[in-house]
Amino acid sequence: MGCWGELAARIGSAAAALSCALVAGAIAAPLAAADGEDPWEPMNRGIFRFNEGVDRTVVEPIAGVVDVVLPDPVERAIRRFFENSMFPVRFLNNLLQTKPVSAVEELARFTINTTIGVAGLFDPATHLGIEDTREDFGQTLGVWGVPPGPYLVLPLLGPSSPRDTVGLIADSAARVYTYFVPFYVSTSIGAGDLLNRRSLAIDDIAAERAAALDYYVAVRNAYRSYRENQVRDRGEGEEGDSEDREDQVDREDLYDSGETGDDSGAELELDSEGDSDDEDDLYYPE
Amino acid sequence: MTRMISTIRSNRQRAAARARVALGVAVAVLGALPVAALAATESEALARAVVSETVDEVLAVLRDKAIPAEDRIRSIETIVYGRFDLQVMSRLVLARNWKRFSEQQQAEYVAEFKRYLTNSYGSRIERYDQQTVEITGAREEPRGDVVVQTKIIGGEFEGALVDYRLRSQNGEWRVIDVVIEGISMVSNYRDQFKSIVSSGGPDLLIEKLREKNAAGMALE
Repeated sequence: MGCWGELAARIGSAAAALSCALVAGAIAAPLAAADGEDPWEPMNRGIFRFNEGVDRTVVEPIAGVVDVVLPDPVERAIRRFFENSMFPVRFLNNLLQTKPVSAVEELARFTINTTIGVAGLFDPATHLGIEDTREDFGQTLGVWGVPPGPYLVLPLLGPSSPRDTVGLIADSAARVYTYFVPFYVSTSIGAGDLLNRRSLAIDDIAAERAAALDYYVAVRNAYRSYRENQVRDRGEGEEGDSEDREDQVDREDLYDSGETGDDSGAELELDSEGDSDDEDDLYYPE
Repeated sequence: MTRMISTIRSNRQRAAARARVALGVAVAVLGALPVAALAATESEALARAVVSETVDEVLAVLRDKAIPAEDRIRSIETIVYGRFDLQVMSRLVLARNWKRFSEQQQAEYVAEFKRYLTNSYGSRIERYDQQTVEITGAREEPRGDVVVQTKIIGGEFEGALVDYRLRSQNGEWRVIDVVIEGISMVSNYRDQFKSIVSSGGPDLLIEKLREKNAAGMALE
């Protein structure tokens, strides 16, 4: 996911104007659609298949070579370098989400890792106990209350949503080098980053593809859960204690399993809607 | 200031980093709360102990390179399945569809699902020997389940947050879901299996799992 995002932002900066128009149109219609639904599934599956084809024929083979040539520690150093260069994105989004402490921490991380960490190749800041925050504009919009909208698979860029697509484009504007290097250079940098990440994940993706009964659905579920969790900031959102509790209630419903009939009617009440929202009955279906 | 405090307190994800800073503030804030809210409940302590024991045992086996790989995977299976409630897990994955399965189909499905999990994760286990696991918290849910929160330290998945959800049955706490960075195993399999059951019924799902398992066996 992350790797696609990298490339996405780069391409996004080139095509920002066009995409904005497209996205504005795309957002308007489906925002009413409930989360978790996939009204664009036929189109999404088509694009997903295309992306998988590109990955298998082009990206994965090259990443496989990278994986053989570069030892994992080197690949991880490269990933850290790219992550460090993303500092402005995380810094700005922390500010936009009114997380001043995290913003200051990001600033400290950038300073430490760029100097002591040799241009970001190493991450001494984490060892000092200052961890990164992984914020982006898609999450900022989420924190502001913008719903993600339906699941959306972008050509080449992979899993997304209308909200996260807007986020991607906005974040690309916050990148330092977008303004200083020609687009083909930044695109090559992006491709390098993508290949490196793809190479690090090569075994995981292969295993996941082999294991899934429906890989499209597995990825969709993972993407949506992951993003939702990031917006909720798993614990970071304690600011809203109420929000936390809301979440707990959701999870409660997820795990109820009244289907054997040995559970009391209390659980049944919770889900009288029948096949409504998965999230509501993961742990207490029925 | 209140905002600052809650921002600090809120950040469980980086709690370790901020613990020292937040401690003074937290003590002041929490001092106002009833003591009962602070103490871990008995359930939380029990669930936490189950996760902690399981993690310790698994890591000990993973690191013992004297044992052949195949045997290590077998003993990890024994440890993990002893602490996982496969029956509940399988049922939660099917949700309402569970009732569409006859008793025999249910039994077949549970058996195939178990083999499927073994095949999916068994081969990958080797890669986790570099890491340790830190238990960062436990939270009792309103209806009695307990979520034990952990964080991976070191290795390839440094910093990953893994939650285990446990449910007590006859006084025994067992894991019913694993949630990695917000991605729930139960939810992910449920989404995948749902459309299969609705298009082809219970038999198609069992059939598909069986196919996967046969392919998985061939790989070993």
